[in-house]
Amino acid sequence: MRLLTRRSIALGAAALFLSFEAAQALADRTLLNVSYDPTREFYKDFNAAFAADWKAKTGETITIEQSHGGSGKQARAVIDGLQADVVTLALAGDIDQIANKTDKVPKDWATKLPNNAAPYTSTIVFLVRKGNPRGIKDWNDLVRDGVQVITPNPKTSGGARWNYLAAWAYASKQLGGDDGKVKEWVADLYRNVPVLDTGARGSTTTFAQRGIGDVLISWENEAFLVQKEFGADNFEIIVPSLSIKAEPPVAVVAANAKAKGNLDVAEAYLRYLYSPEGQKLAARNFFRPVDASSADPADLARFPKIELVSIDKDFGGWSKAQKEFFADGAIFDQIYRPTN
Amino acid sequence: MAMSDRFLPLAHAPERATSETAFTKVVLIGIAVLFLVAILFLPLVTVFVEALRKGWGTLFENFGDPDTLSAIRLTLLVAAIAVPFNAVVGLAASWCIAKFEFKGRNLLLTLIDLPFSISPVISGLVYVLLFGAQGWLGPWLSAHDIQIIFAVPGIVLATVLVTFPFVARELIPLMQSQGTSEEEAALMLGASGWHTFFKVTLPNVKWALLYGVLLCNARAMGEFGAVSVVSGHIRGLTNTMPLHIEILYNEYNFVGAFAVASLLTGLALITLLAKTLLEWRFAGELAAKAHRH
Amino acid sequence: MSVPVRVRNLEKNFGRYPALRGVSLNVEAGELVALLGPSGSGKTTLLRAIAGLEQPDAGQVLFGDIDANSLSLRERRIGFVFQQYALFKHMKVFDNIAFGLRARPRASRPSEAAIKAKVLELLHLVQLDGLEARYPAQLSGGQRQRVALARALAIEPRVLLLDEPFGALDARVRKDLRKWLRELHQRTGHTTLFVTHDQDEAFELANRIAILDHGRIEQVGTAAEILDRPATPFIDSFIEGIARRNADQQSREWTKPHVVVSR
Ligand SMILES: Nc1ncnc2c1ncn2[C@@H]1O[C@H](COP(=O)(O)OP(=O)(O)OP(=O)(O)O)[C@@H](O)[C@H]1O
Ligand SMILES: [Mg+2]
Repeated sequence: MRLLTRRSIALGAAALFLSFEAAQALADRTLLNVSYDPTREFYKDFNAAFAADWKAKTGETITIEQSHGGSGKQARAVIDGLQADVVTLALAGDIDQIANKTDKVPKDWATKLPNNAAPYTSTIVFLVRKGNPRGIKDWNDLVRDGVQVITPNPKTSGGARWNYLAAWAYASKQLGGDDGKVKEWVADLYRNVPVLDTGARGSTTTFAQRGIGDVLISWENEAFLVQKEFGADNFEIIVPSLSIKAEPPVAVVAANAKAKGNLDVAEAYLRYLYSPEGQKLAARNFFRPVDASSADPADLARFPKIELVSIDKDFGGWSKAQKEFFADGAIFDQIYRPTN
Repeated sequence: MAMSDRFLPLAHAPERATSETAFTKVVLIGIAVLFLVAILFLPLVTVFVEALRKGWGTLFENFGDPDTLSAIRLTLLVAAIAVPFNAVVGLAASWCIAKFEFKGRNLLLTLIDLPFSISPVISGLVYVLLFGAQGWLGPWLSAHDIQIIFAVPGIVLATVLVTFPFVARELIPLMQSQGTSEEEAALMLGASGWHTFFKVTLPNVKWALLYGVLLCNARAMGEFGAVSVVSGHIRGLTNTMPLHIEILYNEYNFVGAFAVASLLTGLALITLLAKTLLEWRFAGELAAKAHRH
Repeated sequence: MSVPVRVRNLEKNFGRYPALRGVSLNVEAGELVALLGPSGSGKTTLLRAIAGLEQPDAGQVLFGDIDANSLSLRERRIGFVFQQYALFKHMKVFDNIAFGLRARPRASRPSEAAIKAKVLELLHLVQLDGLEARYPAQLSGGQRQRVALARALAIEPRVLLLDEPFGALDARVRKDLRKWLRELHQRTGHTTLFVTHDQDEAFELANRIAILDHGRIEQVGTAAEILDRPATPFIDSFIEGIARRNADQQSREWTKPHVVVSR
């Protein structure tokens, strides 16, 4: 008995103390950036740079909180009430979802910032193990018998959708646009996928850490990051003959930012992405800057030249691609049969 | 086989049976031990080996990280609210169920078991459906500027829901087997309801209660699924230890991930130790009870 | 301090099952009445209804002139001894007996010293001197029974209700306790109602006997009245065993093992 009361008093006191601490931490203005998986390292650098810049300009100390996860899942969380001031997601379709389901983001969000509100671009490349033991050179090698391909699930991951569309674009070009044959080819590719993770980062750890698969279809920045984290000589990047230009967009979640009194910082934060400093940091973190002029030439030299298709020109934009390929019962559902 | 067995001299049968049993026993125990080592012990060791891969210094450095500290603090805070709450409510619910007959008693019993039978992810989603911006209470909550999910209240609620059955499940069978005769005796001796509860009912279940509280605590600190759904994963703010471990792992910070994992495992092991000690005490008391009849 | 107990037309149903069907019974102050009847006839239910542990559907219980309904359990001041003793197993014998005194509201609670004196006196009364530091689990059945009685006596009850007080004990101990209880009753003079299965026990101990069947009282009277003039055929067959058993007394010792072997 006595033991119990004493214990609960101690717990109560601890709870009080902790919540007091938490309240203290909230005293300054804080901005919440809800982002997708492979941007963690970039925004770590960028947030520090922006906070310093903001402090220099206004004298105010700003704390930037980060939340990372699968792009689609993050959009869902914002729709369900996660108090994001800005979203920096993997594809326009996910921000469209927020704009369609709520009025927190204006419908014309993509026009508010330059370059369709995408401050950096990326593309899709292959990552293979040291020495490229399976001799993988291009997309065609991924449908060969016995080659294990790692890519995440396009139903949940933004990166996976870019992967899928890049593969589709390649096959479409090779097979002269015969949709039936292209479908066949893409089906063969996904037959070689032993593990379909829910997010891009999950696939990367499956491939790099757990050692499963022969080739990882990956964001370019993610592939560079693996080389950096696991040693450049353990993995090789293979550049396919054709890929897709991925434009991860950003937007202010106006309703949230306004309610929190953060609208000015939120807008400044996203504009800073386009500044020379922001572009330079993007290039350093393996994102292709939209304005290369201020980036470090050494960083830029790492990006290979690839022929790139575009979602708007070649697939008619995200909402069309979404409906055609990834909606329930659409092409992906028709071709993908889990093997185990 | 069966036929020939039947014609064996009767005196041999028991001998054969026992030697067969002994062999089976050895094999079964062997399999069980192998299984335990492979499935339970090795992974546990791995956690600590990985955490110490770069030495003790790096391990403690990782604990100094502000995001890690905040995850530890949040986990303790959530447990500090959820566990006492569930202890009190679980005790009250068990008491009602075990000592009284009333309408809806079976429904209450089923409800208590519900968190065990549904997936934690669903427990989390229920709160999103309820308190999310698109949920039933969402508009009202945002109009009053109350944030439940993607904030500490949501994490506490999800944890409370998932860990609710532990105390009640421990207490109900014990209270039922104890019956109401001691309480009736106390009432006949003039004791008030409170006096009866604190002097008779509670002491009779105190070890089981503590045992339930420990299990509840272990789960409250370790819960991943339900909390993941309502957390929002804001670094340094809404990540509990299990969520933070996943994030560190996804950031290629394997040592960091295993450092936090080793701390969580350490807490679990302490809980387990306390539980074992209790079981030992508890067993003594049960034996005394058995002796009485 | 003992009061008469009057039970009037008591009815109690469990669901649709009538456990008591219009039971009326008077127990005079200081009287010892045995409640006898086959299993399931409603003896325990009647005792619990008098104690207030069961709410009757109809009828009335009076302590002296006071309607029991107007009294709380505490105010009824009933010493109740349960069939299975219901001792507090986490408390020592001393604390078990002291429980009722310590549970009193602060104003009427005796000092610890007074409680101690009272408990030791009761222990002496039930012939358990020196066992106050034991736990119930460390006592024999007969000793536990006497602790339960001492605990009930501690609150200075106005009425004693005993539910098969010797039911769980072997024949030898029962006989000793029976004698002891009669002496105790003669000394303390509590109004006492006790339930028993055992006709011999009822006829030997009680001033009067009430025989219950199917929730109804079939006959109330002294041993002689019931044996001489059984009121109904049921009573007749029910008490038949007593005469036969008296005749069989000597042969009992060796017929018992014989029965076991023949099974
Ligand atoms: N709580 C209850 N719910 C339902 N039925 C009950 C309950 N208590 C008693 N009964 C029923 O009421 C009847 C009388 O029960 P009671 O316990 O009074 O019998 P008894 O004379 O004390 O029997 P025994 O000698 O076996 O102790 C029985 O048929 C019993 O099944
Ligand atoms: Mg009975």
